[in-house]
Amino acid sequence: MNNLKKEIIITGFGGQGIILAGKIVGMASALYDNKESTFVQSYGPESRGGFCSAQVVISDKTIDYPYIKKPDILVCMSQGGYDKFIYNLKEDGTLIIDSDLVKSNIQREEYFSIPATRIAEEMGRKMMANIIMVGFVTSVTHVVSLEAAKKTVLESVPKGTEKLNTEAFIKGYDYGMATLKSREKKASGNIGA
Amino acid sequence: MHKNNIILYLCNWGPHVAFQDLLDKCADIPHEIKMIRIPCTGRISKTLLFKAFEIGADGVALVGCVAGTCRYGSGTNVAEKNVEDTRNILDLLGIGKERLELATFLPDDSNELLEFLKRFSQNIQKIGKSPIVHQKIDFEKRLISREKIGSILKKHNIYVCQDCGKCSSGCSLALSGKTFSPRSVANSLIAGDIYSENVFKDIWSCLTCGKCYDICPMAVNFPEFIRDIRELFRTHGMSPRETHGGFFQSLMRTMISPDIKPLHWQYLPEGIRLNKESKTLFFGGCSPYFDTFFRNHLTVSTFDIMVDSLKVLNFFDIEPAILENERCCGHDLLWSGDLNSFLELAKLNSNIINSKGFDTIVTSCPECLKTLLYDYPKYGIKLNPKVVHIYDLLESEIDKGAVSFKKFDKKMLFKEACRLDLGENEQSKKLVERFKKIQDISVIPNECCGNSSWVGCDAFSKALQTKQLKQARNMGFDLIVTSCPKCQIHLKCAMEDVFIGKELEIEMMDLTSVIAKTIFWT
Repeated sequence: MNNLKKEIIITGFGGQGIILAGKIVGMASALYDNKESTFVQSYGPESRGGFCSAQVVISDKTIDYPYIKKPDILVCMSQGGYDKFIYNLKEDGTLIIDSDLVKSNIQREEYFSIPATRIAEEMGRKMMANIIMVGFVTSVTHVVSLEAAKKTVLESVPKGTEKLNTEAFIKGYDYGMATLKSREKKASGNIGA
Repeated sequence: MHKNNIILYLCNWGPHVAFQDLLDKCADIPHEIKMIRIPCTGRISKTLLFKAFEIGADGVALVGCVAGTCRYGSGTNVAEKNVEDTRNILDLLGIGKERLELATFLPDDSNELLEFLKRFSQNIQKIGKSPIVHQKIDFEKRLISREKIGSILKKHNIYVCQDCGKCSSGCSLALSGKTFSPRSVANSLIAGDIYSENVFKDIWSCLTCGKCYDICPMAVNFPEFIRDIRELFRTHGMSPRETHGGFFQSLMRTMISPDIKPLHWQYLPEGIRLNKESKTLFFGGCSPYFDTFFRNHLTVSTFDIMVDSLKVLNFFDIEPAILENERCCGHDLLWSGDLNSFLELAKLNSNIINSKGFDTIVTSCPECLKTLLYDYPKYGIKLNPKVVHIYDLLESEIDKGAVSFKKFDKKMLFKEACRLDLGENEQSKKLVERFKKIQDISVIPNECCGNSSWVGCDAFSKALQTKQLKQARNMGFDLIVTSCPKCQIHLKCAMEDVFIGKELEIEMMDLTSVIAKTIFWT
């Protein structure tokens, strides 16, 4: 990851907290990981419920241009966002989707999925799906460190919801770790007890 | 130097003639051998063999007639099995199976007998003294005073009993047809009726399952009340007839000896990953002893539960530590009224566990859980690590995602254990609920398996077991899923009935084993 530039696009519906998720990832790396980052949000009629996206660039060096054409990591929380950006994703890029909201209809060998919205619902607040997603992204991509992301989540969420949001973050993070472990187990051909 | 104590159980028939011959010839029989004349080797149960060690024998020789010359036919065969099982128990306990031997002789074999006795005595000399320290019990000579009963009644607030009878309506024993009622025991003791035969019987036949406590509107904790009364009774010499002749109580008492080093983990299969440095301790329990003791009778394999638990932990890449010389938690001693021995054992356990710096103890046995988690602190014994049941740990791991269960092709009935109430244990309940979504499994609430802490087994225990098994069969279940090894032992016992056993037969498996068989990474 050293001296590497990572370009991340997070997409979804307006209101899902896409922008906040992007902001957290960007801020975490800039404030606590000693990196450079930029953050651009699509700002328009989308924020009334339609498609919406956040573009985050993280790098060790100065970033010259904040817009992204071919992302390294694409996080999709709606089918619309997926359809729009999937062909831009780099070939060796990482695709991350909310498994209940997005159906991956092109053949990709590897992608990560998490039922973030369902988990958030089970935890009692649907609006925490974005924080769960941030936790998941943190564990499967390592673009930001765990500590940095956790701190930033705490600072970014409304007062009084810190505990619940931390739980949501950890839940997403653990889900990611479990997913990675599951891949490792599958690779070793030993999936049972 | 202390001389060794060797007990020679000598059959009245064949070998006694040989022994008599040696005496007549003034042969040099080793002095440390103390002979006990017995009617037949077949009558010396595992318990009698083991009790000799409990009270200070360093070696025991069981000498009988050559197979085929037994006066009663099958004596020698029975003795062979008993000796083998007891030897294996001694092996698990880490005191050496060589300390017990069976030998058979014809009446003319006096020279061979002498040779055997000398060789055996030399062997014991070589192995040395047994590490078991005899726990002497001093009984209180005076009668039980009203004050003592009164203080126990007060401690458990028995006086609030409204005599409503709800306890009897839910009581496992009463429902099996026995004339037993928790409130009548309470009332008799309140009235000062301490020494009546009925009270004695009732105190020792209570199953301590806690169903009455669950439904009591005044929340009288009857099982714990019974426990305290049992302790009082026992210290006054009013002990019950323990099941299996008190074998398991004896076994647990021997573990109080500080120098004993039980080795029951030695038969752990290969491929289980353990880590001595781990902060998580897996506390196994007494399953290996149960399996050995019941080997010929019930063929239970409760050790599988321990192995499967470790497998599932390994599945999640948790590599726990084990106590190489693990002892019993003391549950059965506590619940059969032997408080002193329980406390000794608990102190030993807590010292060993606390000295190793673990932060979590995981156990798959509901009795160990209840004892370590609730009863140790209740009696002032502090365990530094947090105690959890394996279901709690599994639930939190499974909840992280990326694992699922294969469909297990059985219609399953989950039998809750009296020592692990799903209603109180949130995580376990969630795990069972999660399991329910995929598997065909129904849950029956706490229904007693018929016995606890190895006291008071009788025909009504059998009736309880028979009823449950019949119900399960009639409802079309083909697998009973248990969470306690004792449920398996006790239900299996009912299935061994020579008359109706066939009608009761149904497969049993522990929930941990079912999980180990079906869980996979998605």
